[in-house]
Amino acid sequence: MPASPKIIELRKVLAERFPYEPSLPSLSFPTGWALFDSLLDGGFPRGGITQLITPNISSGGTLVLHEIIQSLHKASRHAVLVDGKDCFDPPTHQPFLLWIRCTNALQALKATDLILRDGNLPVAILDLKLNPEIELRKIPGTTWYRFQRILEENKNSLFIMTRHPIAHNSTYNMIMTNQIKIDDLSSLSLHLIQLFAFKISRRRAQQDYRYA
Amino acid sequence: MPKSENSLFAVIYVPFYGLQSARIKSLNRAACFGDTSSEQASFDLSESRSKHEINVSLADDQSWGVPAALLDSDGIHLIELNHAAEVAGVQLGTSTSQALARCPDLVLYARSIPQEQRLEESLLQVVYRYSPFIENSGPGICTLDLRGKRVRKHLPWLQELLAQIHSLGLRAQAGIGSNPEIALQAAMIANPILEIDSTLRQSLPLESLTSSHYLLDILKSWGIRTLGALAQLPREEIAQRLGLEGLSLWDRATGRSSNMLRLVKPPETFDESIDFEQNLETLEPVLFILRRFLEKLSLRIESVYLLIGELRLTLTLENGEQIARTLQIPAPTREIETLFRIAFQYLETLQTTAPIIGFQLQAIPSRPNDHQFDLFQGGLKDPNRFFQTLARLAALVGNDRVGIPQKIDTHRPDTVRLQMPELDWGEEKAQIGSSPRIGPGLRRYRPGIVADVELSHGKPVAVHSPMMTGRILELRGPWKLSGNWWDLSRWEIQEWDIELDNGGLYRLVQSMDRWEVVGMYD
Repeated sequence: MPASPKIIELRKVLAERFPYEPSLPSLSFPTGWALFDSLLDGGFPRGGITQLITPNISSGGTLVLHEIIQSLHKASRHAVLVDGKDCFDPPTHQPFLLWIRCTNALQALKATDLILRDGNLPVAILDLKLNPEIELRKIPGTTWYRFQRILEENKNSLFIMTRHPIAHNSTYNMIMTNQIKIDDLSSLSLHLIQLFAFKISRRRAQQDYRYA
Repeated sequence: MPKSENSLFAVIYVPFYGLQSARIKSLNRAACFGDTSSEQASFDLSESRSKHEINVSLADDQSWGVPAALLDSDGIHLIELNHAAEVAGVQLGTSTSQALARCPDLVLYARSIPQEQRLEESLLQVVYRYSPFIENSGPGICTLDLRGKRVRKHLPWLQELLAQIHSLGLRAQAGIGSNPEIALQAAMIANPILEIDSTLRQSLPLESLTSSHYLLDILKSWGIRTLGALAQLPREEIAQRLGLEGLSLWDRATGRSSNMLRLVKPPETFDESIDFEQNLETLEPVLFILRRFLEKLSLRIESVYLLIGELRLTLTLENGEQIARTLQIPAPTREIETLFRIAFQYLETLQTTAPIIGFQLQAIPSRPNDHQFDLFQGGLKDPNRFFQTLARLAALVGNDRVGIPQKIDTHRPDTVRLQMPELDWGEEKAQIGSSPRIGPGLRRYRPGIVADVELSHGKPVAVHSPMMTGRILELRGPWKLSGNWWDLSRWEIQEWDIELDNGGLYRLVQSMDRWEVVGMYD
C-alpha cells in the first residue's frame, strides 16, 4: 500500500530539519573513554572478545581497568569484573560494578560462563593477569570458542586482561608495553594514562549485527 | 423488594463435580508415575508440552465417554455417575460389585473432599474476575449477579471464563437468566452456554423452579404446566390462593426474584497440594506436578490481577519429616517458565533423607514492582534470571565474594565490603568522584606475601619472597598508618613503595617485625 501524502510530506520535513543519515545498529558498546573507543572502532565489540595483553609486570593495566570501570560508571552502564586472582582494589564506590572474587583461573572461567550465559550485563571483564602460567595453560582452547558462541547469542562483550594472548578467537588484541616508574606514583592518573601506548595486534572484521 | 425485570444472573455449573475433582487427582497421581494406561490421556514430562495440551487432557471430552463413577467415603456405594455410566445401566447407590457386574469397564474414583474444596476455591477465584457479586451456590455451582456489567453480548466473556475453568481441569457449563434459578436451569441444560430470554423462559416447565409437590399438583390441576402459563395469572389471585410460596414462584416465573445472593469473597490463599500414592525417589514426578501447580496458581492469581512474589514449597517425607522452603521472586511475575526455573534450581540441589510422599506449593501474591529508569539508564533485561545467576555465583565462589564493592569508612587499607545487588540496581545515579586519582592502580595480593627484607640504615634494600626477589632500585616511604588505638583491634603499619630491579613496582608493608608485599602497582 503506498504511503499517504501526509506521511511523505512529514518525511520531507523531517529530512530537511534533521539532515542526518539514519544511524545503523551499533556493533559495539562504547566505554565512554574516548581513547579506548577510538582504538576499538567505537567500543567493545558486541558478541566479541577483546584482549588486553600487558607482558610487563607494572605496565599500567590496572589503571586502564580503573579507567574503563570509571567510564562505564559515568555512563551508568552495568559491568561485571571476574577477578581471577582476587586482586582488584576498588578505588572508589562502584555502584554499577559487580565484582566476583575468584581464587583461580578455573573458578574465574566458570563464573564468566555463568555471567555470559545470563546475558543481563553487557560488558564482562575477565582479569587473569596475576594468575600463574600453569593455571592459564590448562584452559582448553575450546573454552574461548564456547564463550564466543554465547557472546554472539547474547550480544554482549568480553574483555580479557592477561600477560600473554590466550584467546585465539578474539576480535581485538591490544598490547601495552609501558613500564611504570616509581616517579609515576605521584602523577595524576589522568596524565599518566595519556602517556600509555596501545598497539592493536589483531583486528578481526566484525560480522553485521542482526537484530531480531 | 422484588428486583426489576432487568436483573440478570449467570450460573457456572460444573456437572459431576465430585467425579471431576476425584478424576483430576487421580490423573495427577497417574501422571507422576508415568501411568498412561486406560482412559487417562498420555502425559509426558517434556517442558515443550504446552499448558493447553495438558489441561485439555484433564477435561478431555473423549475421556468422558468412558463410564465413570464416584465412590462414597467408605468406598462401597456409588454417589455420582457420568452419562456413559448411566447409559451402561449403572445406578446411583448400588455397590461397587453390582456396578462392575453391570458394567465391567466402569472406572471408579475415590472421593477427595480436600481436592473438592481446593477446586471450589479455585473456581471462586477465577469467577470473581468477572463479577464482584458471586455466590457459592453449591458444589461446583457458582452464581454471578451481572448487575453493572455493561456488555450486550455475554457469549465472549462466558467463553473466556469457561476456557479458564477448563485450564483448571474442569469441564463447566454456563447459563444466563433473569433470576438465579432460571440461570441454573439454563446452565444445567447448556452445551456449554445457554441464555434463557423471556420467550424461552415461558416454555420452561414448572419443575424447573420448584420441587414442591403441593404447589405442582394444584397448578397442574388448573392446567398450568409452564412458567409462561403461570405468569399470565394475576399476582394477587395467586397470593390469595397459594400464599407466599405461590407468590414467590410467580415472581420467579415472571423474571422477578426476591432471593438475595449470599455473596462470598474468594479466599486469598493460593495453594495446591498432592499426596502421592507411591513414594517418590526421583525428581521428575515432582517437577511434573510443580509445573502443573504453577500453571494453576498463575491462572488463579491472574484473576485477582496480582503477580507471584513468593513461592513456598513443602515436601513431606516418608519418615514424617517436612522440608519447607520459601523462594523469593525478585521481580514478581506470573511467567510459568521463570517460576519453574527458580523452583527447579532449588529442587535439583535438594537431597532428602527419605522418599517423598507429599508435595505442597503455595504462591504468595504480590503487586508488581514499580521501576522507572531514566532515559539513558540500562535496566536488567531479566531480573529473575540475573538473581538466579547471582545465587549460582555465590554458590561457586562464596556468598561474601560476589557483589557491589563498597568502601568502608576507615583508613585501614584493603577494607572493602561486597553488597549483593538489589532489584533496583542501577537506579542510583552515577556520582562522579571530585577528587582526581593519583598514580597507577594497585593489584593486591590477598593475603600479602611474606617477605624477608634486607635493611640498611633502617631502609629496605632487598626483598626475598616466593613471588618476587631482587634489589630495590628506588623507594618511597615510609608512610605510617594506624587506627583503632582506642580498642583491641588497634593496628599500626608502615608502607613503602619500592621499585625492584625486575622492573616491578610493589607496596611493601611492615607490621611489627613482619614484612609483607601487599600489592603490585600496575
